[in-house]
Amino acid sequence: MVSHSTIILLLIPAVAISLFGIDSAFAQESTERYILHRVEIWGLFYRLMVVAFVIGAVVMGSIFFVVWRFRESHPKNRSDITPAKTGGTHH
Amino acid sequence: MGHATIEWVYVGVVIAILVYIGADAWNVERLLEHVPEDAQVVRVTGQQWFWTFEHEDGTREIGQLHLVKGQPYRFEVTSLDVIHAFNIPDYTTMMDAVPGRVNTVWLVPDQAGEYLIQCREYCGFSHYQMRATLIVEEPGAEAEITNAAESVPSKGATAVAS
Repeated sequence: MVSHSTIILLLIPAVAISLFGIDSAFAQESTERYILHRVEIWGLFYRLMVVAFVIGAVVMGSIFFVVWRFRESHPKNRSDITPAKTGGTHH
Repeated sequence: MGHATIEWVYVGVVIAILVYIGADAWNVERLLEHVPEDAQVVRVTGQQWFWTFEHEDGTREIGQLHLVKGQPYRFEVTSLDVIHAFNIPDYTTMMDAVPGRVNTVWLVPDQAGEYLIQCREYCGFSHYQMRATLIVEEPGAEAEITNAAESVPSKGATAVAS
């Protein structure tokens, strides 16, 4: 079993590097001699908006998964020992 | 995969994304801080309630600013009375104008035309009229800049006089 700290330590560089990879793959080479504030700042704004929605999707997706998977009525959470068989006592 | 594992996964992913946007934003800010060496200096002075612009050659303009397309400019922004903010929305340029202090910001106008210059920090009664016009001209087609004494004052300046 891989420890949680290992998962985090592997995920952080993996996601960060893949994001930089996507960024550079879609980056347009500027032919301008100077940096244009308007282009850079709006570009940054759009990237941050994408990131904000990705974080929202990841967090909400994880929450939905946990709620769905660990609900009492999920088939994997059902036990053969039911209250009817034990006379209503808990085990 | 257990309950805790999936939570750790999304904690890790979110931290990674936040690290990425922090680095990205820092890098863009670093790029924008670097003023080109051939930038011309324009002294921008705000006062209730109009803008004065002084070019390197000493030419002064009130309520309008003539720039040449493709030429980088460094604005030295200050104020004579209260705090204003020099803002050109179409060029995503903004810098506080603070009395007794010179703040700098730079830009390269890349499209000819007329653009709004406005005060973006509430500075009193006629703050909303503290506007000027940025006129970006094609290289070689620059109009003679009207002497400040002959130019039409801004609405803010008119309000002061009335």
